[in-house]
Amino acid sequence: MGAVPQLIVSTVLLGGIYALIAVGLTLIFGIMRVVNFAHGEFLMLGMYLAFWSFTLWGLDPYVILLVAVPLFFAIGLLTYALVMRGVVKASHNVQIFTTVGLSTALQNAALVAWTGDFRFVRPWHSGVVIRIGEAAFNLSQVVAFLVAVLFTAALVAFMKWTRAGRIMRATAQDVEAATLMGIDTDRVYRLAWSIGLVCVGIAGVLMSPLYSVYPTAGLQFVLLAYVVVVLGGLGDMIGALLGSLIVAGVEVLGSYYLGSAWKEVIYFVLFIAVLVFRPAGLFGQRGSETLGA
Amino acid sequence: MKRDVPALVLFGLAALAPVVTRDGFLLDSLILILLWGAVSGAWNVAGGYAGQVSLGHSAFFGLGAYSAALLATRWNQSPWLGLLVGALLATVAGLVIGYLANRLKGPYFGLATIAFSQVLLILASRWRAVTSGSEGIPVPFRPGFATLGFQSKIPWVYLVLTLAIGIYLVARYLETSRPGYQLAGVREDEDAAEALGIPCRRLKVAAVAASAALTSVCGGLWAQYVGFVDPFYVFSVDLSVRFALNSIIGGLGTAIGPFVGSLLITSLETYLRATFSDFKAGLIGIYLIIYGCLLIVVVRFVPQGLVGWIGERLRAMGRYARA
Repeated sequence: MGAVPQLIVSTVLLGGIYALIAVGLTLIFGIMRVVNFAHGEFLMLGMYLAFWSFTLWGLDPYVILLVAVPLFFAIGLLTYALVMRGVVKASHNVQIFTTVGLSTALQNAALVAWTGDFRFVRPWHSGVVIRIGEAAFNLSQVVAFLVAVLFTAALVAFMKWTRAGRIMRATAQDVEAATLMGIDTDRVYRLAWSIGLVCVGIAGVLMSPLYSVYPTAGLQFVLLAYVVVVLGGLGDMIGALLGSLIVAGVEVLGSYYLGSAWKEVIYFVLFIAVLVFRPAGLFGQRGSETLGA
Repeated sequence: MKRDVPALVLFGLAALAPVVTRDGFLLDSLILILLWGAVSGAWNVAGGYAGQVSLGHSAFFGLGAYSAALLATRWNQSPWLGLLVGALLATVAGLVIGYLANRLKGPYFGLATIAFSQVLLILASRWRAVTSGSEGIPVPFRPGFATLGFQSKIPWVYLVLTLAIGIYLVARYLETSRPGYQLAGVREDEDAAEALGIPCRRLKVAAVAASAALTSVCGGLWAQYVGFVDPFYVFSVDLSVRFALNSIIGGLGTAIGPFVGSLLITSLETYLRATFSDFKAGLIGIYLIIYGCLLIVVVRFVPQGLVGWIGERLRAMGRYARA
């Protein structure tokens, strides 16, 4: 029984970080109806941003957060204008292969530019261990969790209480009606895409002290984020938070009982199981028409 | 018959190539063009004809490669048997994943198949007792037709050409037969097809399984030809994307499209490899960046693929000539 507090704390900390990845994904999906296969590559770019700033200039990942927000917003505007804008209204196949193409290009650009070596960011706070009762965890994990939760909460508040948020929700609910009300849907999509990328970029920076950094680092996390998003109901932010906790719980228990070597198998099996048995999510039906469920 | 003219020209030229040249580099390029075209054609059976766009077909390719390599190295069997075992395993895997993911549409089918290929990657790289883990398996060279070991490239050209023609004929069958038309109905409008009494579910699962079996055979031959199976390559998402890419560039749901796509993409890769291998091996990844960008540009501007685009141009010219 001694491990129980530790397992619970690990689940919550991990869940907070997954939530930040998943919220960006669910925002893009909910509003643009685009499944972003390149989401993991932006996570990877966030991790590399932290790695290079730390290695070249000794900057702490938390300082980089300040740069990462505008930077990823700009990357979002750029990729939207260059790549996504023309395919928002296109067929599934076109959207799939556009984002898959983006993913392949970014992943291999990272591979060519920075090689496939595993890199590590180890600032002072990744070595600080905090103990509360029987549970122990390191400082980076706690800060990552707090910042992630703060960001997610800010985004939820933004969507709920600001005018821009209302406009975005209106577009998500009914594009035609929103257009008739004079909403510039192109701007809404651009904003949703860019905010989604800021979330995942921040998540990458926050995760850099906790995980190794390499060109395909995004893949496992993005598949995981899809489990979360599907579990929570597509386009549903609160659902994404709950989904993150569930997925984190499964991962923590899985690595505790089966060993961390096999935990990736658990991700993927869980993923297939969720898609097969609960494609409309645990809590709702939103977006299920896209799945054909 | 008229529709087969481009294929006759393409395969005919391939068959004549060994008569004209004995250059190892050129023949190697030809074999790879045909082989990647064949895998892509196999992918096209599910992705193009049935509309089940898989992004995890490397799973089946890897199953084939591992079956052939393991039967040859561990149990000292003929790789022909390996091809058969691989095809059977892939059929079962295709039936399972095709059945499980049947309800899923568009991107979610793609995601489920990626997850499936990743599960196989982890199994292959961690289950050391059987697969030698992440080191991969060198496939021993044993000369002879029964063991698929040839000193010269020429038998390989004809072997792979036979496979390519076989897969082309499967695709042509899907364009002209009753099940093929039914499959097109399922792809274009599943509800309407269901209402007409077409067994949509069964057809889609069958298409995925058939596509998986063909992909696996290509994987087995590839392992014999290249002589080494690396789990991180044969189960990679990049490889799955490549299968799809050839078909999309050539033309989704066309019989010759995957081969046209492969001709372009594989030549580009071979050229870049030859150019960059001397001074900077790391730059070889550039062809993958180009893949990605090409994919974005093609689906945006020529979503019907090159074959469809050329067809439209020819028909437009025909109308112009008659008028």
